[in-house]
Amino acid sequence: MNYHTLSILNRFGIILGFGDKTIEEVCVDKNVDVNFFLEILNTFVDKEYFPKKHLQTFSVMLITDYLQKTHQYYHQVKVPEIESLINDMVDTCYTQKENLILLKKFFNNYKKELLIHTEREENVVYPYTLSIEKAFNNPIFDSSIIELMNTYSIDIFKTEHDDIEEKLYDLKNIIIKYLPQPKDVRLCNKLIHELFILEQDINDHSIIEDKVLVPKIREMEKIIKDKFSK
Amino acid sequence: MQNIRIVIYSPSYIIRKGLASIIKKIQGIKNVISIDLHDELVEIINQSDFDFYILDSEINQQKDLIKILAKKINPEQLIFIINDVNYKSLPSNFKNTIHINDSQVEILENLNNLIGNTAKVQSKSDLPEEISKREADILKYIALGFSNKEIADKLFISAHTVVTHRKNITRKLGIKTAPGLTIYAILNNIIDINDTEKI
Repeated sequence: MNYHTLSILNRFGIILGFGDKTIEEVCVDKNVDVNFFLEILNTFVDKEYFPKKHLQTFSVMLITDYLQKTHQYYHQVKVPEIESLINDMVDTCYTQKENLILLKKFFNNYKKELLIHTEREENVVYPYTLSIEKAFNNPIFDSSIIELMNTYSIDIFKTEHDDIEEKLYDLKNIIIKYLPQPKDVRLCNKLIHELFILEQDINDHSIIEDKVLVPKIREMEKIIKDKFSK
Repeated sequence: MQNIRIVIYSPSYIIRKGLASIIKKIQGIKNVISIDLHDELVEIINQSDFDFYILDSEINQQKDLIKILAKKINPEQLIFIINDVNYKSLPSNFKNTIHINDSQVEILENLNNLIGNTAKVQSKSDLPEEISKREADILKYIALGFSNKEIADKLFISAHTVVTHRKNITRKLGIKTAPGLTIYAILNNIIDINDTEKI
């Protein structure tokens, strides 16, 4: 049992209390694609395991749906957790309140940045990839997709896709290396722990975008263009 | 030498995984990437920002790869995984090899030598990891929210020099973003908290 995978279960809408049911039974109950679920779980558990080619065989719908659920998990669970830890630290500290308020401000700005980043993906990038998939699967060629492809492409996404975890890396290092040790070590350790987890999770998330979604869409774009030129 | 980045390319899972686990024992290795796809190797070679490329000798059959390698990568950065059969077919300027039957100690010694050799050339990175007076000056301006160009003008140096200093500051402190550097500067009294809004 790897308890780090609990958050993955939530993302797929699987809630605990499933008794002795098999993974397959639970997935069928919740209308979850078993193979996709298992592959995501496996890449999460084993950092060396990342079957790009196989992951690319899943539909764009499945992939972007998972990515979107992961965004929700950040905004609804992880970020509030970290925020409340920082708030607790500010509240309980009397010796360096101003330093902690600084960290709080830093994280607050990060939160806004993360929101902009994920909203851009959800409003622009994922809908685009879904349109590409739809056009790709459609036996009748619809030339409107070419117009869309002239305004945006997955390579544009690739260049604009910035490292959203950089600031978390900074925050973690500042607390570990440079912040005078706060009185409440327990809170501080918990915060560092959460920052590590969020950073790693965002990292895993970006890898799925960059190594699975991007090459898959690029391939589809190419085939659509070829079709069009004929 | 520190922060060495290595790529391992082999179609064999056992070889990739095995070599990676041995290499991780070497000090100063920052990043080991294992790949098994031809296209991905091409992409990585084109970026050519790795220090060493450990390659399965089977790439000898792939003429396009050999061509790109010759063009992009210094032969001293290449290490080939050989066996008793295929070692003869390697081009003669590829001198660094790991034999498939080498023991762990042999592999480690071999790689340490290769890495040590380049360390003499790039001894720059052996300096103590404290920021210099000049870097502190630049850090101050970054923390105050000035752009590279503005800092260059203020200190009468080129923007390129500012970028180099910035890279060194980031490497030494482990802080990548400007707001992160601002917090560091405040914590270390390089600037005053009231001087900046940019966090």
